Amino acid sequence: MTNSYNDIHNSKAIMIMGGNPAEAHPVSMQHVLRGKEQNKAPLIVVDPRFTRTAAHATEYVRIRPGTDIPFMWGLLWHIFENGWEDKEYIRQRVYGMDEIRAEVKKWNPQEVERVVGVPGEQMKRVAELMAKNRPGTLIWCMGVTQHSMGTANVRALSVFQLALGNIGVEGGGANIFRGHCNVQGCTDLGLDVTTLPAYYGLTEGAWRHWSRVWDVDYAWMQSRFESKKMMETKGIPSTRWFDAVLVDKKDLEQNDNVKAMFFWGHGGNTVPRMPEMRTGMEKVELLVVVDPHPTTAAALPDRKDGTYLLPACTQLETRGSRTASNRSLQWGDQIVKPVFESKPDHWILYKLAKKLGFEKEMFKNIKIDEGDEPNVEDILREINRGTISIGYSGQSPERLKEHMKHQADFDIVSLRATKGPLKGEFYGLPWPCWGTPEMKHPGTHVLYNTHLPVKDGGGAFRARFGVERNGVSLLADGSYPKDSEIKDGHPEFTYGLLKKMGWDKELTDAERATIERIGGNNPDGVGWAIDLSCGIIRVTMAHGVQAMGNAKARAVAFGLPDPVPVHREPIYTPRRDLVEKYPAMADRRDYRLPHLGKSIQDKDFSKDFPMILTTGRLVEYEGGGEETRSNKWLAELQQSMFVEINPADASRLGIKDGQDVWVHGPENKAKARVKALVTQRVGQGVVFMPFHFSGFWQGVDQRAKYPPGADPIVLGESANGVTSYGYDPVTHMHENKATLCRVEAA
Amino acid sequence: MARMKFLCDSERCVECNACVTACKNEHEVPWGINRRRVVTLNDGQKGERSISMACMHCEDAPCMAVCPVDCFYKTDDGVVLHSKDLCIGCGYCFYACPFGAPQYPQVGNFGSRGKMDKCTFCAGGPEADNTKEEYAKYGANRLAEGKLPLCAEMCSTKALLAGDGDVIADIYKQRVARRGYGSGAWGWATAYKTGSSA
Ligand code: SF4
Ligand code: SF4
Repeated sequence: MTNSYNDIHNSKAIMIMGGNPAEAHPVSMQHVLRGKEQNKAPLIVVDPRFTRTAAHATEYVRIRPGTDIPFMWGLLWHIFENGWEDKEYIRQRVYGMDEIRAEVKKWNPQEVERVVGVPGEQMKRVAELMAKNRPGTLIWCMGVTQHSMGTANVRALSVFQLALGNIGVEGGGANIFRGHCNVQGCTDLGLDVTTLPAYYGLTEGAWRHWSRVWDVDYAWMQSRFESKKMMETKGIPSTRWFDAVLVDKKDLEQNDNVKAMFFWGHGGNTVPRMPEMRTGMEKVELLVVVDPHPTTAAALPDRKDGTYLLPACTQLETRGSRTASNRSLQWGDQIVKPVFESKPDHWILYKLAKKLGFEKEMFKNIKIDEGDEPNVEDILREINRGTISIGYSGQSPERLKEHMKHQADFDIVSLRATKGPLKGEFYGLPWPCWGTPEMKHPGTHVLYNTHLPVKDGGGAFRARFGVERNGVSLLADGSYPKDSEIKDGHPEFTYGLLKKMGWDKELTDAERATIERIGGNNPDGVGWAIDLSCGIIRVTMAHGVQAMGNAKARAVAFGLPDPVPVHREPIYTPRRDLVEKYPAMADRRDYRLPHLGKSIQDKDFSKDFPMILTTGRLVEYEGGGEETRSNKWLAELQQSMFVEINPADASRLGIKDGQDVWVHGPENKAKARVKALVTQRVGQGVVFMPFHFSGFWQGVDQRAKYPPGADPIVLGESANGVTSYGYDPVTHMHENKATLCRVEAA
Repeated sequence: MARMKFLCDSERCVECNACVTACKNEHEVPWGINRRRVVTLNDGQKGERSISMACMHCEDAPCMAVCPVDCFYKTDDGVVLHSKDLCIGCGYCFYACPFGAPQYPQVGNFGSRGKMDKCTFCAGGPEADNTKEEYAKYGANRLAEGKLPLCAEMCSTKALLAGDGDVIADIYKQRVARRGYGSGAWGWATAYKTGSSA
């Protein structure tokens, strides 16, 4: 999220695509509706379903699932055609827009209508609304990301905002609403299998940086791995763990199949291909579930031995920092003592490390409090020491606690404290909060905002991908953060560059000593992000300069598949007429596994599975749903699993509202028995299922398989019991927004 | 004394049911009984709008007028409450109420429906304020603690407003003025005959 929920009050236009905040983020709607009311901002909702969010739209656009890129390019077609783009912004701050232009040219109104299903006049109207009401925010959620083309989708949406000059301004932004408590923090701190915490990657340099932060010997760290190569190889994402159990060993880039699985705060029913996942769960030697509730993983597989349920606390039963969607951190206190014998996650982790014999290294600089609980203040201090790259370094426990104490001093739109001891700081010190806590950076409310000095929360795009490509500069051209002494683009800072600027003399002796210790025989090569003293950041900031450089945003992401995002039909598509022109990606390999695309799409499933199936959320339940389905107030509100089907399809199939139907999936004879909800929310040919249910499997009640007394009040078939294959080539994010199915009366 | 009222702004309500859940949790309202519920018109179609409904604590409360045992009474704040000790479960108030607010724990063709239950504006009942007895029969008495009804306090979008009728009417009028349109404060003309201009 480049901006914040609150900043939507400043938006002159609001577009929500592939997100249903009225159900998934109800409180955010307070800000969305205020923006709509106060600024008379058009509220445009783009979704295959007429959602509860769409009910409040001034303009609802129904697209076919899986056509996000053609939709975006279709809007840009009108914008370029009419010269509505922000030409000066693009010249100064965007790389590669001409290549985008060439692709966009192909998406004339006729082709957009053919592929996406949106008529030309509506496309033009929406483009004009966004172009003429700036700044505008573009909000999206999993309807954009959970696709076999998720990364390319996200990039197309970002390019759209860049073309309008909507990034780096209040009221604008690429704003992805994050889900549950601290999910942004989890992402930042290395839940991603491609990187160590704070997006440092898995290179030797990254490992050496973190070994220094953790104060452990790099050689010892390396000895924990089978080889240096494995240490630097991306892991297997949670969307595909069972493939690593089930595939032939020769197809796997590691020495053996996966033998043990830990489900730590992960429901299992939130990712597709559950029939295969179930087999995987039965095949592993060890299955551990760490969760406040037993979850699908505990109840789905038929296994007697080697299963452990470790009861974990909820966030209300423990304390510590949590990162919100807008990168603000809040300090949470313990509200109630842990119920039953449940324990905080960090307690469980400590005990586990102890059993495995590396707790001394792992908790070297973290005090172990009474009752064997690692001290959460110390944990945050360790995070502060290491996550320099994204500026998680300034939010000390002390500063965050002060913010909680003085909440009333912060303005709810600008997020700035307007009075009191924290005057000038942004609430929760949204990252980047550069340098050490002592440097008192106020945090950054709006990313890449050149209208403010760096030391006051301003910034520019990072120079992360070098300084030029094919003779074209990647650095910003005449655009720079307010008060910057360098009035142009520049690369990332190293100690060497600091010397070249003659600014190294401003380092303290201690800072210089740290840099020289890190650099060994090449101190000039020490970059700002591994400078544990944060001296490089401090000195550059004093000159108004952003240590991470000042570059252009890449509209063309060289190095990624499809550097210019192009449309590819979902691998399970009913539109066989489009497959040849817009094929899926060729089969490839990644994340230690085979990754299929084209070979699946080549088969025509649309005869037996003629309906598009998309999935999503309900307001009553959250994630895998075990916790919320166990809550009597919520359970009462939503008592059965259902499938939404358009009245025309229902009458054609002889299905009445409220009756039981079978939904069949295209793989592994998958099927689910659910109630039909006949509604115009979904268009013809599309059905929708919520994904929070589990505890019924292909028509059979699994209640007896939960530990006695731990079964949720409401059980139901899992939508992902029938969803299918499909993974994004960059992240292996799963596809569960566009697949195929067949619905029959039961 | 302020005259307490509810107002639900259908331009804001997103049918999230937070108000319903807050109410059930605050008062431990049993499964099947709803003091507050969200009603949606044109569900899934253009023009879809939701409103959160509960007892409106009417000015000339029809329930009060029809009750054969006179179990209703009105507080100084204009809140309509009743005594479960007097209630005989006849169901007259349900038929008289324009908002369908009264609820009964049992529904049957014969005999009593049990004691009527409805929204108390978080103001308890005739028992002494904030006693166990009061909680068991009527739920929490937040008003006596100087707090407003929890449904509105927890409303996701500030669609549901509760409090001094003049203050919430003002908030709503300002919103309508900013938007340039308004579908009216739903139910006000029926519930509050005087001062229903919002
Ligand atoms: S809303 Fe119904 S129950 Fe409440 S005061 Fe009016 S008539 Fe009586
Ligand atoms: S909490 Fe507010 S927005 Fe949600 S249903 Fe109730 S009145 Fe509507």
